[in-house]
Amino acid sequence: MNQIRKPPSMIGDALAQIGACGLFLVQIVAAIPKSLRHVVETIRQIWFVGAMSLVIIMTCGLFVGMVLGLQLYYVLSIFGGTAALGTVVSLSLYRELGPVVAALLFAGRAGTSITAEIGLMRATDQLAAMEMMAVDPIAYVAAPRFLAGLVAMPLLACAFNAMGIFGAHLVGVNWLGLDNGTFWSNMTSGVDVWKDVMNGVWKSIAFGGVVALIAVFQGYTTAPTSEGVAYATTRTVVFSSIVVLALDFVMTAFLM
Amino acid sequence: MTDPRAPTPNSTDAIVQVRGVRTVLGGKPIFDNIDMDIPRGRITAIMGPSGTGKTTLLRHITGQLMPDAGEIRVDGQNVPALSRDALFALRERIGYLFQNSALLTDFSVFENVAFPLRQHLQLPEELVRNIVLTKLQAVGLRGAADLMPSELSGGMARRVALARAIIRDPTLILYDEPFVGLDPIALNQVLRLIRTLNETLGITSVLVAHEFAAVARIADLGYRIAGGKVVARGTPAELTRGDAPGTKKFFGGEADGPVPFQYPSRDYAADLGFPATAGAA
Repeated sequence: MNQIRKPPSMIGDALAQIGACGLFLVQIVAAIPKSLRHVVETIRQIWFVGAMSLVIIMTCGLFVGMVLGLQLYYVLSIFGGTAALGTVVSLSLYRELGPVVAALLFAGRAGTSITAEIGLMRATDQLAAMEMMAVDPIAYVAAPRFLAGLVAMPLLACAFNAMGIFGAHLVGVNWLGLDNGTFWSNMTSGVDVWKDVMNGVWKSIAFGGVVALIAVFQGYTTAPTSEGVAYATTRTVVFSSIVVLALDFVMTAFLM
Repeated sequence: MTDPRAPTPNSTDAIVQVRGVRTVLGGKPIFDNIDMDIPRGRITAIMGPSGTGKTTLLRHITGQLMPDAGEIRVDGQNVPALSRDALFALRERIGYLFQNSALLTDFSVFENVAFPLRQHLQLPEELVRNIVLTKLQAVGLRGAADLMPSELSGGMARRVALARAIIRDPTLILYDEPFVGLDPIALNQVLRLIRTLNETLGITSVLVAHEFAAVARIADLGYRIAGGKVVARGTPAELTRGDAPGTKKFFGGEADGPVPFQYPSRDYAADLGFPATAGAA
């Protein structure tokens, strides 16, 4: 009997969560004009989620680029097309790997810290205290972090791409002996700014917004207990990863 | 002898009027048609056993939690019917001391106290500094202005929260357990501060507290809540000698009786796995 009842309840809970998250987004967007009064807080959050994530994003970008360089050089050499290494690596990074991997790393590094921070503020009544001081926590806490995600994510994806291309260049040109001019000239002729680079930029803006929204929502609605904060942090990573990958497919289909 | 400071029971100049409030939380009835008047410019204490809804009542008054039925008027405005903007405008005139202080952990003591000023007023930095230091001096923590909340003891955090609650000289201050964690010196200072704020600025104070001896020194009026209803109202002296059910038990600190110490539970022996004894409660 329970087995029959449970799935509808789980679906109902999931739909309720999605609905609540959507309403929360509406509240955040409505609070953005008010949050512009707290521009220093927004800048602080951009520094916190952006600059503080830079090292991990750039390190991972370097290794992803190096792996791409190795793998693609091997595959392309079978067909005698190693000259296309720069083009293939940069297209892979700009269009897919840059925005997606950077967003997954962003969820793990910045999303979890946003959730934990807001969750602890909830648990220690700091959000309630702000409300009692007539300071809207949506405008002061949620909106700056959401805006920070929107701003920081495309910049981090760009840093990821740059390091990825540097890594691929290191492997392909410096270690495997590909011609430096061929690497760069094929890349510049094969990559279109609007079709390829901006494709990734739009994606990373969307991913930044989604990850920041999920992180803020999970923190804001967490149960005010240590276990509640732990669960909320885990949910941020899980939900962000699933939504980023699903949204990537949808956006790829529309932006092709 | 009646305390001359005590407001008359029919006082119409009530800054807070609670009428017919009913509240159920998690299936448990908290208030059952409760009525209450908080007289303007006085110190009112709300007392009662733990779990009777004293903090819930403060949350109703400030609109943090809406009742299931009834009216709560603060300065003539019905709180449950207010829009979010109107509620925030009302809260600008209310100070609230949280039970756990609720200091912003990323800010220093100075910035915590300055927070409401910075958020609502565009004041010169020198003026902000002077106001904050004045309030910190009043709670005896001017020297702790640069400390972080993690460096404070519980009592110090409570006093910082008090300084923050009074930073904008509100017309109404709600204190949720203000005396917990205070040493005797700090307790005396806080009592004196609450009385001074009340006498010099005419600020209305509502205290939720268990420390009857402390409350009796400053409160003009007291309410005792039990079983979701107001069971006694009067000056602290009247409350202690009143004949409402449970008065002697509550103020005498006696366990069980009309004011039970034990949360409703199964038979103790049965819970411990012992055979039930004849006549066991």
